Amino acid sequence: MVPFNPVLAIDARDVAKTFRSGPLRRRTTPALRGVSLQVPRGAIYGVLGPNGAGKTTLLSIFATLLTPDAGAVTILGHDVVREATALRRRLNMASGRPSFLWSLRVAEIVAFYGRLYGLSGAALRGRVDELIDVCELGPHRRAQYNELSTGLKQRVALAKALVNEPELLFLDEPTLGLDPDVSVRIRAHIGSLRRERGMTIVLTTHYMREAEELCDEIAFIKGGLILASGTPDALKRKILLGQVVALKLQPARAPWLGDLSGVLRYHEEDGWVECTVDDADERVPEILDALRARRVTVRSVQVREPDLEEVFVELAR
Amino acid sequence: MNWRAEAVAVWAFVVRNLLMGSRNVFFFFELIFWPMVGVVSIGLMSRFFGLTPEQTAFVLIGTMALSVVQVCELEVAYAVLFDVWSKSMKHQFLAPIGVRHLTLGSWVVGMLRGGVIFAMLAALGWWAFGFRVLAPGAGPLAVFLLGCFLTAWIVGVAVCALITLFGNRAEAFAWASVNFVLVLAGIYYPVSVLPPAVAAAAAWIPLTYFLDAYRAHFGFASEFTAPVLTGLGLAALYAAAAHAAFVLAVRRARRTGLLLKMSE
Repeated sequence: MVPFNPVLAIDARDVAKTFRSGPLRRRTTPALRGVSLQVPRGAIYGVLGPNGAGKTTLLSIFATLLTPDAGAVTILGHDVVREATALRRRLNMASGRPSFLWSLRVAEIVAFYGRLYGLSGAALRGRVDELIDVCELGPHRRAQYNELSTGLKQRVALAKALVNEPELLFLDEPTLGLDPDVSVRIRAHIGSLRRERGMTIVLTTHYMREAEELCDEIAFIKGGLILASGTPDALKRKILLGQVVALKLQPARAPWLGDLSGVLRYHEEDGWVECTVDDADERVPEILDALRARRVTVRSVQVREPDLEEVFVELAR
Repeated sequence: MNWRAEAVAVWAFVVRNLLMGSRNVFFFFELIFWPMVGVVSIGLMSRFFGLTPEQTAFVLIGTMALSVVQVCELEVAYAVLFDVWSKSMKHQFLAPIGVRHLTLGSWVVGMLRGGVIFAMLAALGWWAFGFRVLAPGAGPLAVFLLGCFLTAWIVGVAVCALITLFGNRAEAFAWASVNFVLVLAGIYYPVSVLPPAVAAAAAWIPLTYFLDAYRAHFGFASEFTAPVLTGLGLAALYAAAAHAAFVLAVRRARRTGLLLKMSE
């Protein structure tokens, strides 16, 4: 068992999980191969990775829906296997592909799950009303679940996930398939949950912008292994993506720039030349000098930080 | 143990099953149509064959037991089936509840529906065929119904365990298993007419004893000594076994990932 650390919401060490299928369960699919990660209390932590990387498996183990084959996981001071029932009172989960009983109405779904967490009477009614209000489900309160749009279903899932006022909330691709305006509102709501309720949130997502906007820390997972973790800025530095110097040139191409010292990568896109450099302050003057020496006209120069998507592409490669 | 929280969690499933049942036309057929058809057709058949009132009572008890057990067992199986069909299985197992809450809540609704069906069938049997379920008194009738409900609970929980073990493939058990049990228990005949090996199997089914005990009040000699006690003893044994099987099935589903698969 991992020693309890009161600062951490999640402390996972060497978690492994292999799924077995087929006749005599001989076909094996390793989903997690020794994952370790620590999530501080009150943080929004992102787990990113391509399809089949093991994100949902990891979240499901943390949420006690799946037992690990090996490793130790302590969540909010509870062992995830031995003290699962006590832990379940303190966490909840919402999925980006929600599904609930088709003919129950929105308020009935929230009330049903509220009862499973011990709420009844006025306390239950109050909580249902509050969550329907918070998740902007008021006009749909009496609508049956199978009549709702995808966005509304996601909001029902979020309302259900908040019914026990969890200290730790897992969100599995919370904005999957949503219209951009709905995604923006859900992201804003996730941010407010941490600000106003001090909730620790662990989310998986495919959307780099979402991770960059919301997460204090991020772990990249691929093939059941965490390839890198840290703050978005630290990750960008960690994998040496450097900064991008974008140039509009006449003539348009200058592939020899890739041979200059400190230029990590040369790339052309949409009429722009992009040089990824280790330190823009030092390299931009050198690049401009080299271009001037070769009589290349510089029409425009931009320096930008790489975004998380580039980190993701680099790691997923 | 917090009894209030226990009761609230059981109540959650009572409310859920009642709401789901009230919004499904299929449930209406299950509740009224098929049981009525059963009693009317068996009653008319007994009239055609010129059975005595006692013999008519014998077969009508069987057909009423069939309806009550079937409906109650299906309701218990809905504890899992609703979530399998709606792919929402993981949500309830994410909550701090046990399988006892699922099965007890569903069983309460099953007994309610079974009780309503029995009352309707009893009224129909009395009006159309002169069969009075209360002729032996309220006590024997209550024991008989208890036997039906316990059998339904055992089979229903076993079906829940099978579905949790094997996924959707095991759904057919929900409908088939109870019929198998009822055929063995001797719904339309005394178990003594069964081949010896089958009769021996029937002796392991609690409903056999409850049918035997109730029918004894209509003039049919009991085939067993202390049938009610034997039936209750067997029912307690199987109830514990079915519950343990369901608990282990959920534990296994958490290990194999089937719990998640049934939610996708």
